Amino acid sequence: MSSFSRSAQQWATFARSWFLIDARMQPPGKIATMCSVRLQGKHKPIYHALSDCGDHVVVINSKHVAFSGNKWEQKVYSSHTGFPGGFKQVTAAQLHHKDPKAVVRLAVYGMLPRNLHRRTMMQRLHIFPEDELPDDIRANLTEELPQPREIPRKLSEYTQEEIDAFPRLWIPPEDYKMK
Amino acid sequence: MVFLTLSCWIRNRGPDRFWKVQELLKHARHFRGRKNRCYKLAVLAVRRAFVYSTKGRRFKKRNMRTLWITRIAAATREHGMKYPVLIHNLTKCSVQLNRRVMSDLAITEPRTFLSLAKLARARQQEGFQAALGDGKEPPGVFSRVMLQ
Repeated sequence: MSSFSRSAQQWATFARSWFLIDARMQPPGKIATMCSVRLQGKHKPIYHALSDCGDHVVVINSKHVAFSGNKWEQKVYSSHTGFPGGFKQVTAAQLHHKDPKAVVRLAVYGMLPRNLHRRTMMQRLHIFPEDELPDDIRANLTEELPQPREIPRKLSEYTQEEIDAFPRLWIPPEDYKMK
Repeated sequence: MVFLTLSCWIRNRGPDRFWKVQELLKHARHFRGRKNRCYKLAVLAVRRAFVYSTKGRRFKKRNMRTLWITRIAAATREHGMKYPVLIHNLTKCSVQLNRRVMSDLAITEPRTFLSLAKLARARQQEGFQAALGDGKEPPGVFSRVMLQ
């Protein structure tokens, strides 16, 4: 047996890969499902709950996640300090302002199984509010995952020709008063 | 061969209660706490343990099947399909592999599994073509498809 030995193959099988996810303008829930699957190792055919085969996931641009609807104002994160009267409730906007990593982190934490491995798997999740990565983490990255949602373009990003060529439902007559 | 168990069972009924206790404690020796030496506690714990093991024989089959399905789903996603799509189309092709064999193939023979996924993909496309028909609407229906 030369360098293609079974032991090398086994090392390769159980090696941890590092995934990169760009969370810019993405729903936190969709980011969290991608993360939780890979943190648990459920994307591998060798998956077993006890074999600890999860991978590392690096989430960048967590400050620029996009909740849909009115979730920034109406989604409430509750916690209790344990002291009397220590029930804290903050909205998603307040929490995000205080800690730009917290929204993604709590979403992933809620999607992982409630067992003793949960904290270990959370340690393999690396969240960064901006797209700057430390060199030691950047050196480990193996694969970038595609974004779950296509980022919608702003009106300011369209050129004038594209705006003119856009199909219109109704063309107002010349003498039509808009107001 | 000499069958010793039968004579032990007869002994357990016997006048000496010691052997009856030993027969039961035999199953409780690895338990935690006083259960592994006190008969009164052990008899309850052993009864419970046997109930669990009876149930566990059912649960084992169920849990193994969920594990195989998780593994097949993971392997299927690598080839850009979903688990229900794969299974449905393989059934349509009358591929008679069960979940256990398919998960083994996914781990040890990835290329065999890839060919299965390709087969399912081809069957799916055939199904879509059949569903679309020849591009005509059923009689008595007029729609935009006919205008093109």
